[in-house]
Parts: sequence; C-alpha cells; structure tokens
Amino acid sequence: MNRISRGVFTLVASTAFAAACFAPISRAQTSSTTSSTTKEQWIHVRVESTDDKGETVRVNVPVEMAEKVLPAINKDKLHNGKVHIDSAHMDDVDLRSLLDAVRTSKDGEYVTVQSRENDVRVAKNNGYLYVYVTEKPRTVVKTETGKSNSAKVSKVEVKVPLKVVDALFSAGKDELDIVAALHALSANGDTELVNVKDSENTVRVWIDSKNVAD
Amino acid sequence: MLIIAKIALGFGATLAVGGAYVFHEGVINVDVDELRPGGSHVHVWVPATAVSLGMRVVPRRHLEHAASQVQPFLPVLREVAKELKRFPDAKFVEVKDSTDHVFIGTTDGKIRIDVVNNNETVHLRIPIDTVEDVADRLESDAPTI
Repeated sequence: MNRISRGVFTLVASTAFAAACFAPISRAQTSSTTSSTTKEQWIHVRVESTDDKGETVRVNVPVEMAEKVLPAINKDKLHNGKVHIDSAHMDDVDLRSLLDAVRTSKDGEYVTVQSRENDVRVAKNNGYLYVYVTEKPRTVVKTETGKSNSAKVSKVEVKVPLKVVDALFSAGKDELDIVAALHALSANGDTELVNVKDSENTVRVWIDSKNVAD
Repeated sequence: MLIIAKIALGFGATLAVGGAYVFHEGVINVDVDELRPGGSHVHVWVPATAVSLGMRVVPRRHLEHAASQVQPFLPVLREVAKELKRFPDAKFVEVKDSTDHVFIGTTDGKIRIDVVNNNETVHLRIPIDTVEDVADRLESDAPTI
C-alpha cells in the first residue's frame, strides 16, 4: 500500500510539474486573447486590381501598435515618431496660421479648380477636411494597330479630421508628429480616409475597430 | 517487477517533464519547398527553448558581434514583439493574385509568414516570446557607447 501511494505521489508530482511548465503558455495566451478583444482601432489599407492577375493587397495595422513602434524607429528623417520636413519649402507659408484660418472658418468649399484634365475640390465640413480630385478622361486616340487607347478616369477622395491635421502639425515648425496624428485618428473613431478609384485599381484606407479588412 | 515499474515510471515522468520544458516555449518551424525538379526542400522544427538556451551558452564575444550588427534595430524588434503579443491571431499583410499568395500575421501566439507561388512555398512560424527573448538577450549583450 505504501509503495502504491508513493508511486501515485510520484505520478501526481510529475504531472503537476509538467502542468506548471506548460502553464506560462496557456496563461500568456489567455491574457493576450483577452486584451485583444478590447476595442482596438485598426488602420486598413486595401488595394484591388482588376487586371488579369487580379492582385489584392490587404494591410491591417493596430493604431496603438503603430503608436508604440514608430518612436522606436530612428532613421533618416523619422525620429521619435516625428518626421522632419525641409523648412526651405515652408519658409513662404505659415502653415499654422493657414490651418488656424481653415479651422475657424465656416464650413464650405474653399478651392475649386476645373480644367480639361482635372477637377479639384477642397472643402471643410463638420470638422473634416475633404479633398476631391477627378481626373477626366482624355481624348480617345487610335493606335497604329487600330485599337483605341481607352481613356482612364480616376477619382481620389481624401477625408481627414481636422483634429488629426492639428495633431500632425503640433510638433515644431519643421516637424510632422505622426504619433500624435495617429493618436488623434484613433480617438476620432471609424473613418474612411482615402478612396482612390480608376479603371484598373481601387485603393481604400480607413480606420475601424475590426481586426480584419472587409 | 516492481523495480521495473518504478524505473518505467521515473523514465516516463522524466520524459514528460523534459518534454514539457523543451516545448513550453513552442516550436520554431521553417518549411521551404522549391517546386522545380531537384529543388531543395527544407523542413526544420526547433524547440524555441533551444534558441533561448543557445543564446545563453554561446560565447559572449560572438553575441556581442551579432548584437552590434543589429543594435539599431533592436528597440524596434523588442517593441514589435511586445506589441505582437497583444495580437496572437491577426492578419497584418496579405497579398494575393492569380499565382502568388503572401501572408504576414500571427497565429496561436506565433509570427506566421507564408509565401506560396508557382516556384516555391515558404512557411515560417516563430513564437513571439522567442523573438522578444532574442531581442532582450542581444540588447543586453550589445556594446554600450
């Protein structure tokens, strides 16, 4: 009886030790699964091509992850989550005053450019800055083979919350604060940021709380 | 008879405990198949513990050299690993067309990279803990300025 109980004890002890060794994995997985279920904002990029290969690119990045990783990258003009911009191009423009003017102005369409090639519209509405560019179809030209070179129409729609623009320029004069912009973007909630459509490609950039693209 | 049973039990228990320890950090898996006649086929399964242990037994001077080479990237690597642990099952990048498929993401707490096309298939699985461990170890061995 004593021998049997010693055998059982050895078996139980071994099993317990083995379980203890495995425990960190299961604990880590449980905790990480729990944390990932909290409302995370994700930036999604989707590129779909309608050519023969039918290429699709999907990129999903958690905003918080980008906020944490970007400051760790110090390369070229990116340092501590901020991009240094060449002030030589900005000397003649007081960007802050310009942004301040846009922010305090009433909603409306600020810029409208219409030409034979493009239509460009810049507008402000409900705290968002909108940029619309429509490239008009060019004249159809017959090639040497007799085939017509079909015109390509492309549409670009950009929608940026003004808070994000403010955050982007919140650093020094010659810097763009990417991390602050991401933070503002995340706080802004679900938004469609960029939509580009032409005859061959569709590009979408948006932010939401889903961890996968549609 | 009882002695044999005891030896078997001890052996079994040691095997179980040893196995549990060796695999408790998961397994690094590398599969590369070149889909052409005579193409190479590499299939490697390494317990992640072997890497962690290996990092501890490798002579410090060798690690210092490796650490100095990758030093600029270590903060990024450590931060990425730390953040990836929060997303054990996620799809970060996926590229698909009629012939190619590339996937970068995480599955069951492992970094997963898959490349499949007509010429080759590559499947890579690395436990996120291992990446963090390696980054920490290299950082501690990196020469200070």
